[in-house]
Amino acid sequence: MTSTASRLAMGAACLAFPSILVFSWVASAGERLETAEQTAAAEPQVAVAEAAEEGYCSADLKKILRRVLTSCGLLGSGEVRGCQPVEAKNVATLGGDDFNALFRPLAQRAGIIQFDKDKAELDPGDTNLLNKMFADQRGASYFFVVARSSPEGSVQHNRELSQGRAQAVMSHLRQTFNDPDLDKEVGLLWLGEEFAQLDQEFCQWQRSGLGECSEKELNRSAFVAWIDCRL
Amino acid sequence: MRDRPFIVLYLLAATAGLFFASFSTFDFVQHLDRQVHSIHCSFVPGLAEPDLASSSGCQVTMMSPYSSLLRKHIWGGLPISLPAMAVFAFLLYRGIDVLGRQGRDRRAAAGFLAIASVIPVAASIVMGYIAMAKLDAACKLCIGIYVASAACLLFSLLAWRSASADEMLTSDAGQHEHQDGNGGLVAGVLQGVAFVVVPVLVYIAVMPNYSGYVGKCGSLTQPKDPYGVMASFGSATRGIPAIEVFDPLCPACKAFEARLEASGLDQKISRKALLFPLDDTCNWMVSSALHPGACTISEAVLCAGGKIDDVVKWAFDHQDAIREAAAKDPQAPARMVTTKFPELESCIGSAEVKSKLNKSLRWAVANHIPVLTPQLYLDGVKLCDEDTDLGLEYTLHRMLQAHAAGTLGKEGRSP
Repeated sequence: MTSTASRLAMGAACLAFPSILVFSWVASAGERLETAEQTAAAEPQVAVAEAAEEGYCSADLKKILRRVLTSCGLLGSGEVRGCQPVEAKNVATLGGDDFNALFRPLAQRAGIIQFDKDKAELDPGDTNLLNKMFADQRGASYFFVVARSSPEGSVQHNRELSQGRAQAVMSHLRQTFNDPDLDKEVGLLWLGEEFAQLDQEFCQWQRSGLGECSEKELNRSAFVAWIDCRL
Repeated sequence: MRDRPFIVLYLLAATAGLFFASFSTFDFVQHLDRQVHSIHCSFVPGLAEPDLASSSGCQVTMMSPYSSLLRKHIWGGLPISLPAMAVFAFLLYRGIDVLGRQGRDRRAAAGFLAIASVIPVAASIVMGYIAMAKLDAACKLCIGIYVASAACLLFSLLAWRSASADEMLTSDAGQHEHQDGNGGLVAGVLQGVAFVVVPVLVYIAVMPNYSGYVGKCGSLTQPKDPYGVMASFGSATRGIPAIEVFDPLCPACKAFEARLEASGLDQKISRKALLFPLDDTCNWMVSSALHPGACTISEAVLCAGGKIDDVVKWAFDHQDAIREAAAKDPQAPARMVTTKFPELESCIGSAEVKSKLNKSLRWAVANHIPVLTPQLYLDGVKLCDEDTDLGLEYTLHRMLQAHAAGTLGKEGRSP
């Protein structure tokens, strides 16, 4: 009997060993699961997919961009309306030089589509650069088109000419890129000769014009750039 | 008593087997909290630091579909190492028991040890074959179990032979002994069954209830594909629609694919691939190339058309080589993929496919999904990230059932 009892005791001990361990481990995992669930809200979450936000997106820049985009119909309504010179000048509440300075950090991201004098048609060089710039969206949310004209001719004519240039860019994008978000992404501004004329410094930027670079030639243009800021 | 040294060696082998199987079970069980844990992958577990590397043989083995049974019914399944642990505890008990017996009883008990030791050896042969042939992974804890199993069988046979020789010298066993042997065998088998069943029942009884997590990890806000950037892949085309967010060079995606295929549940879902390369060459949401070359290979997948499954499989099979080559030469992945699939050469790197890949990423932005891979959305409802490995079959099976019942994602929250 003693032998049988000791065998039974030994068997029970050997059986209890894995059973108790398993009980302890599983119960402990259950407690951790419960705790994790309770503290989940306080723990840092995994990063969520978001549009790009580059270092140059300062609070001031975003404030101006938001104001321009809202006033020019891009934010909120989801439709491209575009901004005329007076509107752009008013909503930007900046001088022309300060307005241009906003875009200086985009030197590697922007292109200047240069038009012939008194023309608003894109030539193959223009479309190549425009296609290249637009295809390189990366994480950007907004594509700015800022059209200008050189200060030759009447103010009214130049206003209409720069509007035509902005519209030419938009038409090309619409025809070339089958992008359902186009109207929510592209912001048009036409400044005529009245506001924020480009200076010689912009000759160093990517341009579709191959010839000499004068301020007059620079401003017969549409400045295009993706803006890598979350607004 | 010439068998005594062999019995002692047998007990040591059974203890070693119990030791390795216990660590293996512990590693598995700690994942029941749905978190990521480091695991023991050493011949001296407990002394060496646990390992968090997803590529270690033990991780690969544990996360494989072969590490547990009944996965559709139990979250994570019943770990194979749990019955192994129970069997070694049983062998240990029976080994100690032999030491207390004399004469023909001792010989019969030693014979039973030899018979019982065949079970872990047979299981080791099967699991070892799977590890080598299917997983290509060397799990040190598993190897410890295999060696302990073999040692148990060897020493039990030697003990039985010695006990037989001892008995021949002392008495003449007859019919009476034969009858005792049969009764002892039945009792031993019943004991063995009890040793396995009791811990298994304890395991099942104490397990947390996971049903509350099924389909509760949010859903897509804009599941449509207005840009036409998703491509059908996988062998099933008539199942429940699912979107898989993945990176062709992501090891976790490769392992997920293997688990999904092994579960058979891939046949019940009609998958579309949403490319999400974790490579800063094209993905602005990561600060470095976690998987160098992933942008190029994602372009290849988008270019593949009807050959998408072939390109994905090739990429999964060559992940390490592609990533290593890309880290040295960014052009290398394009060369590698076009060598295998020359018809993709004109497409990879084109403005069209770059734009398509960008739209893939923008789809992720529009849906505010987490920046990680893989992710599976069943009819827009997310399979929880915590359920993409051990809990995959249990959770996906229940999501499919909920979908059929029309209740999937009714109480979800945003991802």
